[in-house]
Amino acid sequence: MAPISIHLLQALSQELSRIPTDPDDLANAASQLAAQLEGLGRLDDLDLSAVEPATVLLPPREVPYVS
Amino acid sequence: MSPEELTRLGIAEVGKLIRRRALSPVELTRAYLDRIQREDGDRLAYITVLRNEALAAAAAAEREIAGGHSRGPLHGIPIALKDLIMTRGIRTTCGSRILKDWVPDADATVARRLAEAGAILLGKLNMHEFAYGPTGVNPHYGTSRNPWDRGRMPGGSSSGSAVAVAAGLCAGALGTDTGGSVRIPAAFCGLVGLKPTYGRVRRAGVIPLAWSLDHVGPMTRTVTDAALLLQALAGRDPADPSTADVPVPDYARAMQGEIRGLTLGLPKDLFFERLDPEVRAAVLAAARSLEGLGASLEEIPLPKIRHAGPASFAIIVSEATAYHEPYLKTRAAEYGADVRARLMTGQFILAGHYLKAQRARQVIRAEMDLALRRVHALLLPTTPVPAPPLDARELTVDGLTEDVRAWLIRCTRPINVTGHPALSVPCGLTAAGLPIGLQIVGRHFDEATVLQIGRAFEAVSPMRERRPPLDSK
Repeated sequence: MAPISIHLLQALSQELSRIPTDPDDLANAASQLAAQLEGLGRLDDLDLSAVEPATVLLPPREVPYVS
Repeated sequence: MSPEELTRLGIAEVGKLIRRRALSPVELTRAYLDRIQREDGDRLAYITVLRNEALAAAAAAEREIAGGHSRGPLHGIPIALKDLIMTRGIRTTCGSRILKDWVPDADATVARRLAEAGAILLGKLNMHEFAYGPTGVNPHYGTSRNPWDRGRMPGGSSSGSAVAVAAGLCAGALGTDTGGSVRIPAAFCGLVGLKPTYGRVRRAGVIPLAWSLDHVGPMTRTVTDAALLLQALAGRDPADPSTADVPVPDYARAMQGEIRGLTLGLPKDLFFERLDPEVRAAVLAAARSLEGLGASLEEIPLPKIRHAGPASFAIIVSEATAYHEPYLKTRAAEYGADVRARLMTGQFILAGHYLKAQRARQVIRAEMDLALRRVHALLLPTTPVPAPPLDARELTVDGLTEDVRAWLIRCTRPINVTGHPALSVPCGLTAAGLPIGLQIVGRHFDEATVLQIGRAFEAVSPMRERRPPLDSK
């Protein structure tokens, strides 16, 4: 897997998330991401086609009708 | 009994003395405060000590008990809280420079519940900054010193909680656990640490690291003490939508039974794959001890559990960065370097990664649920290694070199992903005298069985009479 470009991360940080960043932090972030992306990719090995994320909101409880 | 001896007793023991009026809560609280004053200068377990407030609360408890109004087993017991649990009128730093002067105007629900149960708050405890790391190393308040070996990591993120309980600086403490932050320091400091089921204990008023993985749990010297604290904490909270409306049993009673007839699973995947040899030997010896008590052992396949690590990573870094984004935009330089770097990483996780991780989580949890239909609980190591040296950056185990943080959370973070209850109990010492933790994982909301197994093991554990060298420097 090609190394993650620090320039790319810097651009994303400046243009999208707008969080000021330090080059040392970005180098660390690139290294952490590189270490994890393969494992994240392997999540595709799981059959997730019928699975909803754990974050879905529960429907609100039914409120009894009051006349 | 001398003040020093009092600070070595567990919650259940001193609670009985207090209820019999054989021990004054003021005397006990003063014993702890004096010990903190004498011992914590270089142990660095506390960030804030509440001497006057604690003595006033102890005097009030004493008056109530003398008047025949005992509130139960925690009444008059000196405890302390990890410093991300909000306390009204008392600063809550989260182990950070950013919040060094923050004084909340409300109590976290867990703080209020312990106060209502009559516990005496001695102070607020050191931690890994914003709970974002398993080593306990803190650049702002210093690193709490592991009482078994001051040159070793205390474990984190609830480092001060573990050191305070292990070093006799409070009778019990609360920590929080997002990837192992109660269980790892409990294992490294020779304590009991319980991560309850997700939804069992209220998180309202606890500063989050990752909302969908955070748990609050007790850290104590005995399993019985953990049960007593859990009893006060457990239950539904209207202020916390993640708490479940599930009945709370009487844990002290529920954990009394024998474990004969229980089936305990040893997972074949991940947890036993790469271990320090002394950890492996101690955990397997603990399993055999439980077998000797009448439980049966069964190997359990969990092939999907290895996906829990990457899923946990995507969820933690996304949620943590989302919470911290306002500070990252304005006060980034005030974070410690390790925490800031991890927070920066979170901005590069795609929404697709996060949602895939949350979907994978359902599948991993379902596999664990299925396994826990075959067995009553799983037995695992809490950590693959004993406490590493304070300056360790990488560790090599079975020929694999990885970042020390990755090793520390390897066996704990999958259980945050699944949300099952997990208890760490001391199960041995290495030849170098470092504690080893056995992890017991149970069915959702079945903390009672987990505690029951832990208590049964504790009675036969090689660690049952072992204490750290408390008065050595």
